[in-house]
Amino acid sequence: MSDREPLWFCHECHSEMRPLMAPDPVCASCHGSFVEKMENPADDPREFAHTHNEDPERDGLPPALDTFLMSLQSLMERGIAQAPRTQNETGSAPRMTFEVRGGNGTRVVRLGGTNTLNNPSLNTVGAEPANIGAVPTMSEFLRRNPNEGQNGPTITGPLMAQYLMALLGQNDPLSALFAGGLGGGLPENGRMGDYVFNQEALDQIITQLMENSNAHRPVPATEEIIANLPREVLVEGSAMLEKDCAVCKEQFKLETEDPDEQIVITLPCKHPFHDPCILPWLKSSGTCPVCRYQLVPQPEHHGPPTGPTQDSGGSRQASPGSNPPQRDRGDHGGLFHAILQGFTGGSNTGTSRATGATNNGRHQRSNSDPPHSSRNGSNSNLPGGWTEDLD
Amino acid sequence: MASISARRLAKELREIEGEGCPVGINLIKADDFATWWFTIEVMGDSLYQGEVHTLQFRFDPQYPISSPAVQFLVTDGRTAPVHPHVYSNGHICASILGNEWSPVLSVVAVCVTLQSMLASCKKKERPVDNDRYVRNAPDNPKKVCRFSDY
Repeated sequence: MSDREPLWFCHECHSEMRPLMAPDPVCASCHGSFVEKMENPADDPREFAHTHNEDPERDGLPPALDTFLMSLQSLMERGIAQAPRTQNETGSAPRMTFEVRGGNGTRVVRLGGTNTLNNPSLNTVGAEPANIGAVPTMSEFLRRNPNEGQNGPTITGPLMAQYLMALLGQNDPLSALFAGGLGGGLPENGRMGDYVFNQEALDQIITQLMENSNAHRPVPATEEIIANLPREVLVEGSAMLEKDCAVCKEQFKLETEDPDEQIVITLPCKHPFHDPCILPWLKSSGTCPVCRYQLVPQPEHHGPPTGPTQDSGGSRQASPGSNPPQRDRGDHGGLFHAILQGFTGGSNTGTSRATGATNNGRHQRSNSDPPHSSRNGSNSNLPGGWTEDLD
Repeated sequence: MASISARRLAKELREIEGEGCPVGINLIKADDFATWWFTIEVMGDSLYQGEVHTLQFRFDPQYPISSPAVQFLVTDGRTAPVHPHVYSNGHICASILGNEWSPVLSVVAVCVTLQSMLASCKKKERPVDNDRYVRNAPDNPKKVCRFSDY
């Protein structure tokens, strides 16, 4: 530390730095303008910040709650025409009111409130009951209104409900904050919803995400595609009797226990299979087991796409119209998912923030790309290659 | 009527017993159509010279539509090879064991693929997320292994 030039303290990010003079001093790390030169040891701004942190109850709200509510507000902006009112403070109890515009008019959801502060059991729903007649309770809100418009420009009931449920779940940060403030209430498992506070909890979340990631799961062929595949019933003298089914590795033959085994399905890539051999496969993956021909567009994978309409170079980038149908993203309603779905499933008036979040959601998938592309064009490990070697 | 799974495995077993396994691969246990064990050894110059590892295959009734659960055994003194795609609990990160499985593949084909995965290894090291993964690994190794080259 230099004695000549005292450091500055940033009240916004709490860092000690030398400010950028542009021309007024701004924080070098967060570019905030609330900076203070630390020249008087008797009035050290760090102490101010320190005591502030130690006593979150001093001004009613834990320090993190402001940030949380702010970010909550910005998250909600897309679906809510009228910005939510935050922190109608009554005494020391933080409270939030959302106004949600649905197809059926405006609804108000209240979170928190005086009488829930010291009673965690009430926090799971957190709506002020009974005494406000015009305001629906959470359960009332969750009930889907049959008259509700399905394609309104705002977040619709079930989606909104999912989002709020994620927020208000048993372990959610909000109720923990309400219940005990930041100091008291860290859960034993280190998790609050999708928030984690220790390595083990982070491991669990990552493992969970990996196990539930469906981005690479094969897409099954549709019933219609399967029904329209050409079928041939084997007869004496069929040319097919010379060939093998690559699934069971048996030659086609006339005398079979199961009469279905005399039905041969030939995929568009000309590879033939027993009916009972190929159908279960197509119902799990709409591809040819031999050459990976895609009966339906599949997520990116290693094998060279062999569809006749695709060239080997450009087909890794699926055209917008032929994106593989997204499977159910899983039924675990974490905050992360709820927010993602809120962005991707909401209206199409996307903001730049929403686009960013969507990209983050896909990041997981693009992370796995490098090893793929590195062997684009080498197919030595493809099933077809092996069978040729082995048979 | 025997299930497709049993018929297919019986056929694979007949071929293994009739023609033998590829060099470096040996069947050591196939008492049923549920669990088979092989020893696997990388032949020629490689980082794994002289090492013999044991591979376990577990089949469900949907085999070969569903992939076998394949892992290295790490019990009774056996070890998993140190490889960027092999976790220390024996689980293997190989796409053909997961989403890139095809019913055209066979037990022997998987063995050969894993053998070549070891043979081509440039540096003996565990996956970067080994500790994290092993702490929370599911029993079934089929749940991992999406992003590798094999």
